[in-house]
Amino acid sequence: MDNTLLSSSLNKSFGKSLLYTLPMFLITFMFMTGGRLNFSDPYSLLATLIAFLLVNILYFMMHYSGKTDRYRVVLFIIFAMSLSFTLIKNMIAIRSSMSFSQADVLECKIPFCHLVIPMMIIPAAFTKSIIFPGSILNGFANISSMVVLWLVATIVLGRGFCSWGCFYGGWDDGFSRIRKRPVIKHINEISRWMPFAVLFMVALTAALTLVPTYCDWICPFKTVTEFEQVTSLESASKAAIFISLFGGLVVVLPILTRKRTQCSFLCPLGAINSLSNKVTPFTVKVDREVCNECFKCVEVCPLYALSREDIRAGKVSIFCSKCGKCVDACTKNAIHYGIKGVPAGHLKNFSRNLFLFVSFLFLAIFSAGAIISSFQSLLKLVF
Amino acid sequence: MKKKVKIVAGITWAFVCLILIIILFPGLNSFSASTAKLPFMKINPNYTGGEVANQIVAESCTLDIRKPVFDGLFKERKNGFVQLDWRGNLPGKIVDSIDFDHDKKIDFCIFIDRKQLKTTIDQFNKNVKNIIISTPTSYGWSVRVGLRK
Amino acid sequence: MTDSFILGLSSGSACLVTCGMVMFPYLMAGSAGVKRIAIDLSLFLFTRFVIYFILATMAWYFGQAIFSNPLVRNFVPGILYIVFAVMLVWYSISNSRNPKCPAEIVKTVNDKRLVPIFLGVVNSLGFCPALFIILTKGATQGTLLQSYLAFLAFFVGSSLWFLPLPLAGQIQKKEVLKTVGILATGLAGIIFMIKGLTNLIGGIING
Repeated sequence: MDNTLLSSSLNKSFGKSLLYTLPMFLITFMFMTGGRLNFSDPYSLLATLIAFLLVNILYFMMHYSGKTDRYRVVLFIIFAMSLSFTLIKNMIAIRSSMSFSQADVLECKIPFCHLVIPMMIIPAAFTKSIIFPGSILNGFANISSMVVLWLVATIVLGRGFCSWGCFYGGWDDGFSRIRKRPVIKHINEISRWMPFAVLFMVALTAALTLVPTYCDWICPFKTVTEFEQVTSLESASKAAIFISLFGGLVVVLPILTRKRTQCSFLCPLGAINSLSNKVTPFTVKVDREVCNECFKCVEVCPLYALSREDIRAGKVSIFCSKCGKCVDACTKNAIHYGIKGVPAGHLKNFSRNLFLFVSFLFLAIFSAGAIISSFQSLLKLVF
Repeated sequence: MKKKVKIVAGITWAFVCLILIIILFPGLNSFSASTAKLPFMKINPNYTGGEVANQIVAESCTLDIRKPVFDGLFKERKNGFVQLDWRGNLPGKIVDSIDFDHDKKIDFCIFIDRKQLKTTIDQFNKNVKNIIISTPTSYGWSVRVGLRK
Repeated sequence: MTDSFILGLSSGSACLVTCGMVMFPYLMAGSAGVKRIAIDLSLFLFTRFVIYFILATMAWYFGQAIFSNPLVRNFVPGILYIVFAVMLVWYSISNSRNPKCPAEIVKTVNDKRLVPIFLGVVNSLGFCPALFIILTKGATQGTLLQSYLAFLAFFVGSSLWFLPLPLAGQIQKKEVLKTVGILATGLAGIIFMIKGLTNLIGGIING
């Protein structure tokens, strides 16, 4: 009884939830439609409406049910799949293949993704140039706009970018939810620091070779986006590494551990985002006065960001991506979204409402293009 | 008092972030354009192939000979390349003599059979190594020839 | 040179936190300000440099003798790289590892003026998998100069971490630095494992 009352403290009445959804409704309408509906293309219109309704229903449900991760993950997974689908579709349309050729590299036609950012910092400082064969300002996924998007998102959300903005994270997040119980329960604590070691190594090797080594040799998401054309033993080895890492860290291990293992153990941008957790105003707080130390939060955390010691000390680690899984799991409402400076246990609803608006707005608008495009393609395929 | 200041500062920063996210997408084009003007926002010559140093114009096509690229992190590397770009309506077989260092001596001759996708070079300069890349492009054909300092 | 530098830099961080904390009090003991600290640190680094110079010479000469046989030259370096790289990876992931700095032995030295030199010797000769890899590299280089350059890159990479040693007391996240350093060393091990495999495959193809 007590638990039910406490857990329901974050949810709202139907009318109030609708009122909280109204600003999201208006802003997403403006961004998705550009202010007016295009009736000349019924597929585009229908896809836009479906995407628009989807994001707003999910946001409404977050307020109505008081649950965050349950609805966030729906959009997050759809975003990841849509982006890969749209990208692959475009590449097949343009190049008749998922791979890019040497000519695409020479003509600097490779779409930029935020994972390159850790590797381009040192060369940018010393050579005053970007070590990536993409476009600075024009075309799809150009370097300037991706850098701006990531920079603002990481300042505002910190590592929250990994759960509310990264268009790859939805893959291992999705696979980590397939099994109900984990097969592998314990992983060495020090592995949490692996992304920092990867960051160190890729930043160093990229600086010394002026090649984005992570993209060139390691990135598992090449498997679901694009990769170098296999023309030699070296490019074949790279493709084998991409596929193996995708299979291992994005599919198999997340299923076995119920954790986002790629994000936890490999992603170098996750390490930088963890550091920016120090800057963002939004955080997750532990109200020690209410906590009964059931450690359900530790169990469900997908990024190994929580340990029993952390909970006992009343804090979360820098690895927290603010996905909300622990907040949803806590029956006492002891772990909650908070704002830095505001003591734990205070302004829980206010902090959650503000964080949800900021983070969900970013996710909804950032994902809109890819989701609408993939819905449109699916509609054309079906009808 | 200190606690209150912390609370006010935290909430103010949160609202600033809210505004940042709201203006991010409408202002993205403008922010990106400003970012693109930053001094380091240009693609490294290892990818672009470097600046065009010399252009040879023929009847139906042009050949761009770019500056040799030896760019490293702190200083120039021992090994680099020179990129050649043929643009326009290209013949099936390309034969060109290249003087990339402008010493009025031919450094290498290049033979490209576009149909067979076969490229060979004859080196006359000891610093010319081998063909790194030879590929058709959207504008014609590109070749990178390895160089040593 | 790049891979030697990376190896030095990655193993240097773990080396600093494991050994630095032992060296720090001795390097600083009885010191009278920045000048003294700088002299002690320079002596320490100079000793390491000399030791690496000697090791580079020895490795290359032994390499010339051992790898003169083409069959040995084609296969042994690749195998050695793989073995030491596996050791390096194992070192980084092993749960049971409890790294202790060989410089603990410094407590037996009575003359404090000799401490930086003694520490330099012990630190350079603390045979770890990273040093084994660089010895293999030195032994397989074509010329003595190349062997020196490989050791120099390793020395520079690992020494960079020791430069802020006087500030070591101020570093708050020593455990984090150590953990990241050890994991990075493991990743460097993977790079050398790939290098070893490439050498071995090249050796098989060549004959």
